[in-house]
Amino acid sequence: MSSTLRAVRALILLAGFQLLSLVLLGVLAAVDWAAVHAPSSVTGKVWLVSVVLAVPVIRGMFMLRLPKLEEPPGVPLTEEAEPRLWAVVRELAAAAGTRAPDGIILTADVNASVMEHPRLGGLLPGRRSLHIGLPLLTGLSEAQFRSVLAHEYGHYVGGDTRLGPVVARGRRQIQRTIAHFHEKADKKVARERAAQEKKSARRVAKGKKAKEIDTTGAGATYRAMAKIYTWYGTFFLRASLSTGRAQEFAADRNAARLAGRDATASALREIPVLANAYDFYLDRYATLGLDARTMPPHGAFFGGFGDMLGARELQLAEMRAELPEPERSPYDSHPPIAERVHAVESLPDDGRADDGRGAALDILADARAAAAALEPAVLAEELLGFRRAADWADVLRSGMTARLGDLDTPLHRALAVYTKSAPTLPALLKVIDEGHLWQLARRLPLSDEASAAQGRAFREFVRPSLEGLVHTWVISELSKQGLLDWEFSWSESATVVLPGGDPEAAGEALAAAVAAALADHPDTAPLRALLPPVPAGAGTDTDIESV
Amino acid sequence: MTVLLWVLGILALPVVAFGLYIGFVFVKTFIKHDPSADDENAGAEAAAKLGLLPATRQDLDRPGAADPAAEAVLQAVRGGDWESGARFLAEAGRDWEERGRRVSILGHEAAKEDAWLLAWRAARPGDADAALVNAESMIYLAWDIRGSMQAKNTTREQFDGFHRVLAQAREACAEAQALGGDDPNPFVVEMPLAMGLGYSHKDFNELWDQAVKRAPHHLGAHQSALQYWCAKWRGSHDLALSFGREAAAKGIPGQLLTLVLLEAHFEYEFAHEDIDEDEYYKRPELMRAVDAALLDLAAAAAEAGDPKARRLLPMRHMLAYMLYWQDRYEAAMEQFKLIDGHIGTAPWSYLAGKPRFAERYTAIRDFTAQRVLEASQARDVTA
Repeated sequence: MSSTLRAVRALILLAGFQLLSLVLLGVLAAVDWAAVHAPSSVTGKVWLVSVVLAVPVIRGMFMLRLPKLEEPPGVPLTEEAEPRLWAVVRELAAAAGTRAPDGIILTADVNASVMEHPRLGGLLPGRRSLHIGLPLLTGLSEAQFRSVLAHEYGHYVGGDTRLGPVVARGRRQIQRTIAHFHEKADKKVARERAAQEKKSARRVAKGKKAKEIDTTGAGATYRAMAKIYTWYGTFFLRASLSTGRAQEFAADRNAARLAGRDATASALREIPVLANAYDFYLDRYATLGLDARTMPPHGAFFGGFGDMLGARELQLAEMRAELPEPERSPYDSHPPIAERVHAVESLPDDGRADDGRGAALDILADARAAAAALEPAVLAEELLGFRRAADWADVLRSGMTARLGDLDTPLHRALAVYTKSAPTLPALLKVIDEGHLWQLARRLPLSDEASAAQGRAFREFVRPSLEGLVHTWVISELSKQGLLDWEFSWSESATVVLPGGDPEAAGEALAAAVAAALADHPDTAPLRALLPPVPAGAGTDTDIESV
Repeated sequence: MTVLLWVLGILALPVVAFGLYIGFVFVKTFIKHDPSADDENAGAEAAAKLGLLPATRQDLDRPGAADPAAEAVLQAVRGGDWESGARFLAEAGRDWEERGRRVSILGHEAAKEDAWLLAWRAARPGDADAALVNAESMIYLAWDIRGSMQAKNTTREQFDGFHRVLAQAREACAEAQALGGDDPNPFVVEMPLAMGLGYSHKDFNELWDQAVKRAPHHLGAHQSALQYWCAKWRGSHDLALSFGREAAAKGIPGQLLTLVLLEAHFEYEFAHEDIDEDEYYKRPELMRAVDAALLDLAAAAAEAGDPKARRLLPMRHMLAYMLYWQDRYEAAMEQFKLIDGHIGTAPWSYLAGKPRFAERYTAIRDFTAQRVLEASQARDVTA
């Protein structure tokens, strides 16, 4: 089949998706018409049944109406404010041979995309907007960014055929429809996500405000119709898969033509790396202080990403060398990244390796102001009310102090059960001194093997996790007493600075003291020596339950 | 009316006859002897006649009767009297093999509960005996943590614990070796580590040299080393068999080193499911190896003065099995009579899981018993 024929077939199937309900109704009508010739008692029954069957089909026709495409949260960038960016965007659109977007929105994702509000189920073009993620701009060079833009435009230019853009729009629309069905039908998933989002301020911080739970997808008829449409939709996606994949390759070639081969290949390698790095950054840096209701300084929530990328250049270089694993979904039109990179790299050298080496972020008129403006636009309301830290070291110190302050480990719970009083470190040391540590350890969550073990084997099973738990507990105790400090670093994980001079020696002394307290002949003296003196009467009068 | 009764009576006759016939067949089947069951019963009867015990009365944990002295020592150390343990080990003196046996007994106990060993080590720092027991106990402990399941049924936690304790055991072995002087046992004790941690052949040979330098004919050292050289651990079938042949060749009768070759052959046979034991054990090399082992055993027994001496038992178990496959029933029965009752050792423990291997043992033994009885009846008839 030629590519044009394939596209025509895809187009017919696409129309079929819209017409599926009509076809189903037609079949029912035909059955009713045929039933006229049957004895009248049968005719009545057939009609009754067909009415019952028609209800979900008609409901299904309304199901196809998607909620309006929503612009992602972000900051609109006007042409007056960002003339250079607009110039680049227009220039590339013209070179690609497609319409320039009607608006640009700066988002907080590691992504750039062109969104088109579809009309007539994707058959006709509509208003276009371009979404550019600030983290993406932060991580890419100017040439790489141009390549990403050129690729996105490529989707609207179409691949080998004139019908390509329509098929691409249709695919996108159907993917959205199917995703929408799943979202509504999987109430459980939705509920879980809502719970998660409520629970974790961290997720909210990533700009994902908790969604309202939609419960209209409850009925069985809805699910049945959703199943039919999903089935048809996946059938369509499969039928147009080769068109979709060819489009990705064509979009890559388009990007290479407009932005240079090397920039395109390196951008393809870079984006998965950036996505990982950004997740890491959000988790370890940007949201570090949230437990202490502390935010990084103004503009630093998104602005810090660039600092981290700069400091971790060596680690990123390693990640770049490995191309990500092939994707799994059979309906994903994106061929594996590795395949795309190889396809681009096998193009002839265009001598443009040195184009646009500058940072993509410099295209913006004021990157710092943009990062600051993004915060109120995408972050949850709650976070914006948090205290602003003086600097990143302050963020780290507050965050760690808060986390260590309300430490609740399995050992805390085991000790509480064992002593029937509030778990404190002195109470734990007392249990150890009295030789009851291993009875206490029986109350920790244990694997089957560990709980079946006796005597020495049991102790060896439990000792490693106990060491970790006691170590953390001691650190938390020191933190509560204000005896700890933390060393902030963009290039490495934060390190704890123990009191008492040489940090390395202090760390070793702590490890040795913990090991001594958990040894077969326990000795808690070294650990007690490390801890601040306990005010008399505090936490020492625990009731040891005899076992 | 009476006519009717007559007619019915006559009609009923065949039914009654058929019923009787069925009843007869049923009873006949019920009391009929199954010929194979017959054979089995005869085997069990023959074994009973020879004074041997049924499967349910076999001790599956030990190769021979419990050592009352050792039991008493274990009782004492459990009560905290570590000095009994220390004395027990010290009394073995320079009988390295006996010392190795006692270390193993104490090591097993300390792997379970080691308060007494900790007390011993605290009271006598630098004590070579305590260090040796400690090293041995850590190796048993490591295997207790790992469990006896195959790798795929062993959890990450178990493997981590296994390797962590093995690493500690290696240090404990080094300590025992530094303190041990001319005792080969600290080196013998390390050999299972070589299997678990996968020592290179070079590293293992260095360990081996240290052991044989101190005791060239230590049976336990040879048995442990054979395990290392087996295909299932770090060697191959060829390496294991040639090691067994060398060991058998260098021993003098009474040292029981011929057992190492028998074990190598047994490991080979056990690792090959397609081997026909009936054919394999009758090969000339096997016949010669068993003959040499019988001579070796006779010399050792004469030396020991007690046919049930503990030292002889591993050899007797292995010979009973191999003589059976060689159809040398009289000779096999001699061994069965001396080992019966305690079968917690190779080759029996390999044959099936516990406690099922007891039945595999009794099947082999009973068959032997029956052949022996038949032969003696035949002799009686001809006499």
